Amino acid sequence: MRRDGFLALVVIASLMAVTGFAAAAAPAPRGGTLIIADGVDAETLDGHLYTSSPTAERMNHICETLFDLTPEGKLVPKLAVSYTISADGRRVTLKLRSGVKFHDGTPLDARAVKFNLDRILDRETRAPWRGLIDRVQEVVMLDPSTVVLLLSTPFAPLLAHLSHSGTCIQSPTAIATKGAGYARSPVGTGPFKFKEWVSGDRVVVTRFDDYWGEKASLDEIQWKVIPDDGARVAAVEAGTVHVAKRVPPREIERLRGIRALRVEIVPSLRTIFVAFNTQRPPFNNKKVRQALNHAVNKEAIVKAILGGTARVSDAPIAPAVQGYSSIQTYPYDPDRARALLREAGFPTGLKAVFHHPTGRYIRDVEIAAAIQGLARRIGVDLELQTMDWATYVSFVRKPLAENATQMHMLGWGTVTGDADYGLYQLFHSASWPPLFFNTAFYKNPQVDSLLDRARTTFDQSERNRLYRQAMEIIVDDAPWIFLHSESQVTAYRAEVGGVFMHPQERLVAQGGFLRR
Amino acid sequence: MWAYIGKRLLLTLPVLFGVSFVVFAMVRLIPGDPAEIMAGQAATKELVEGIRRDLGLDRPILVQYVDFLLNLLEGDLGHSIRSRIPVTVELAVRVPNTVILALSGIAVATLVGVPAGIVSAVKPYSVIDTLVMLVALAGLSMPVFWSGLMLILVFAVVLGWLPAVGTGTPAHVVLPAVTVGMTSAAIIARMTRSSMLEVLRSDYVRTARAKGLSEGLVINRHALRNALIPVVTVIGLQMGTLLSGAVLTESVFAWPGVGRLIVEGILARDYPLVQGAVLVVALSFVLVNLLVDVLYAAVDPRIRYE
Repeated sequence: MRRDGFLALVVIASLMAVTGFAAAAAPAPRGGTLIIADGVDAETLDGHLYTSSPTAERMNHICETLFDLTPEGKLVPKLAVSYTISADGRRVTLKLRSGVKFHDGTPLDARAVKFNLDRILDRETRAPWRGLIDRVQEVVMLDPSTVVLLLSTPFAPLLAHLSHSGTCIQSPTAIATKGAGYARSPVGTGPFKFKEWVSGDRVVVTRFDDYWGEKASLDEIQWKVIPDDGARVAAVEAGTVHVAKRVPPREIERLRGIRALRVEIVPSLRTIFVAFNTQRPPFNNKKVRQALNHAVNKEAIVKAILGGTARVSDAPIAPAVQGYSSIQTYPYDPDRARALLREAGFPTGLKAVFHHPTGRYIRDVEIAAAIQGLARRIGVDLELQTMDWATYVSFVRKPLAENATQMHMLGWGTVTGDADYGLYQLFHSASWPPLFFNTAFYKNPQVDSLLDRARTTFDQSERNRLYRQAMEIIVDDAPWIFLHSESQVTAYRAEVGGVFMHPQERLVAQGGFLRR
Repeated sequence: MWAYIGKRLLLTLPVLFGVSFVVFAMVRLIPGDPAEIMAGQAATKELVEGIRRDLGLDRPILVQYVDFLLNLLEGDLGHSIRSRIPVTVELAVRVPNTVILALSGIAVATLVGVPAGIVSAVKPYSVIDTLVMLVALAGLSMPVFWSGLMLILVFAVVLGWLPAVGTGTPAHVVLPAVTVGMTSAAIIARMTRSSMLEVLRSDYVRTARAKGLSEGLVINRHALRNALIPVVTVIGLQMGTLLSGAVLTESVFAWPGVGRLIVEGILARDYPLVQGAVLVVALSFVLVNLLVDVLYAAVDPRIRYE
C-alpha cells in the first residue's frame, strides 16, 4: 500500500517535470543550443521579401513587428506601445517603444519605422505582403518616437496586418549598407541575432544581450532542414534534434509511448477546402454545390486520413481568427445530396474533373481520393488530376476566360489573424484571379458589401456581426466544399520547455529553455 | 597522353553547350511560373508581373538564352530566383557536400563490391557465391529511403552510435555513405563476378595454373588486373551518378547536396539554379568519364593514348 503511494508520488513528480510544472517553480535554466528540425529551408532572410511560414518562424526571432498577435488571437503592442485612430479613420498615430536598439546598434525610431514601411510600399521592392498595408498613402514622422500613417480609405484590419511578420521592422543601416547581401544576414530588434545560414542545411541565431524585453535563456537556436518525415521523427527520437515539426499523424500514438518525448497538437489558421468554379456549369448551380457538401463526410476524412488531428470546418475561417463565428457544417447526408442533385436537374448524376496539388497540404492526395469515393456514392463521377504546386498555382489562378478548373483543392492560412484576410481575398468579387485568390469566381453583391463595410468599421463587435452575416451567406451559397482546418503536430524532447507552436504555423522559441 | 587529355577537354565544350541548350529549354517547357511561386499567397497580379520583369522573363526566349550564354562565358550563372543569391554561391555550398558523399559512397562500394565479386567468382555456384549474390540483389532492390531510415533506426535511435542526420563531422558521413554505397556495391560486385568468371576461364589463367602458381598469385596477378577494366568503367559510371546528387539519400539524411538543390529548384521553377546545377553535374560527369579512360591505361598497359 505504502509502496503504491510512493509510486504514485514518483509518477506525479515526473509528470510535473514533463509538463513544465517544475520549471514554473524554478527559474528557467540558462544556456544551451535548441535544435529545431523543419521540413524546408528559408527562402530568403529579408523580412520584407519572404513568403513561407517556415521563413516567418526564423524571422520572428530576429525581427519584430509593430504589433503582435498572441496565440489566443489577441492583438497586443510590440514595437509600438500605443495608437490612436482619427474620427474619419484615415489617420493612424503610432507611439513607438523607447530604448529599443537594432542588433547593429541603430536606434529604433520614427525614421527607422518610416524607412521600413516606405520600403514595403515601394513597388520596386516587390514585397509580397505589400497588399496588407497598401491603403497607407504616406508615412509621416511626427517626432522621433511618433509616426503617423495617412490612409487613402479607412482600413480596419491595418493594425492586425502590422502584426504580420512580412511588415517587420529591420535595421535601415543594415539594409542600406549590405545591399543584396542583406537577404543573407538580416538585422532586427528581436531577442536573437542572426549568426549564419548554410543554405539547405541550417539557420543559426544567437541571444541578443541588449534586447529591450525579457532576455532569452537559450544561447542559440538552430533550425535544421530535414526534408524526410521519417528521418525528422527519427532525429528527435535519437536526440540529434530537440524539436521535430510536421510530424505525420500516423506517428503520434507511437511517439506518445516514448518517455523522452512529448507530442503537441495545435490548431492552425489554415483551412482546407475544395473550390467550385461557380461561373460555369454544372457548379454554377447552388444545389449541386450543396449536394457535394452533403456528400463529403468531413468527420470521416479527419478521423481516418488525418488521425483526428484536424478540425472540421464550421465556417470559411478557423476559430482563432478575429471575426470568426461558428456558422454550420453541412451534415454528411447522401440521401439529401442525391435529392439536391435531382432538384438541380441531374437525376442520374454528373461527371467533373477535380484538380488537386500533391505534397502541399497534409495528405492532400489521400483526401482528394476520399472525396472522389464519397462523391461516387451520390452518382458524381470525379476524374482526379494531380499537379505539382508550381504548375497548379498558375493553373488555378488564370483569369476566368482561360480558367479550366471545375473544382480544385486549396488551403488558405489567415496569417494576419484577422477575418478580412481570410474572407476578402477569397470571396469578394474584386478578388477574382489573376488579381487575388477568389478562385471559385464567387460573386454575391450582398457579401461584397458586407466585406467592404467590415473593412471600414473600427468597432470590433460590429465587424464580428458583419463577418457573421457574410459567412452565413457564403456557407449557404457553398462556393466551396468546406473541409477542415489543419493542426500542427510537433514532437519535443522532454528537456525542452517554454517552446510552443503558434496558430500562425510558426514555432515560438524565444522563451525556450533546456532542462539539464 | 597529355595531348589526348587536352583533346578530350576541348570536346567537353560542345557537350556543355548542348547541355546548356537542352536544360535551358526544358525548364522553361514545364508549366508553372517562377514569379508566381516567388510572389506567394498574398500576391497581386501587379507584383507577379513586376517580378517577371525583374527576372527578365518577359523578354523573348532567344534573347534570354543568349544573355545566359554571355554571362556563362564570364563564369556568371545568374542569381537564384528563390533565394536571390548568386547560383555560384549556392553551388559552392552544395558541391563539396556532394563530392564528399560521392567519394565516401564509392569507397564503400568498391571496398565491399570488388572483394565480394572476387570471392563469388572464385567459388562459383557455391553457398558463399549464392549468399553474396543474394545480398547484392537485396542491395540493388532496397529503396534508399527505406534502407537509410533502417540504418538511422538501428545506429542512431537504438544503438546511439552515430548521429541520425546532418553534416559536420566524419561520423555524419558514415550512414549516408553506406546507404548510397550499398546500391553501387551490389552493381560492382555483380560486374566483378561476371568479369572475373570470364577471365578465370581464359587460356592464360589455365597456363598460369599449369605453371604451378599458387591460386592467390593466379587471381591477384593474372586474373584480377584483366578483369578490372569493365569494373573500373562501372565504378566510373557510379561515381558520375553519385556526383549528380543522390536526391533520396540527401533527403533522408538531411545532407545538403546538389541533388536536393536541383529538385528544390525544379519545384520552385528556379530556372537559373537548375541550369547552373545541371551544367556543373554535366561537367563532373564528363570529367569522371575522362578520368576512367585515363585509368584504363594504368590498369591495362596494352592501352595507350597517343
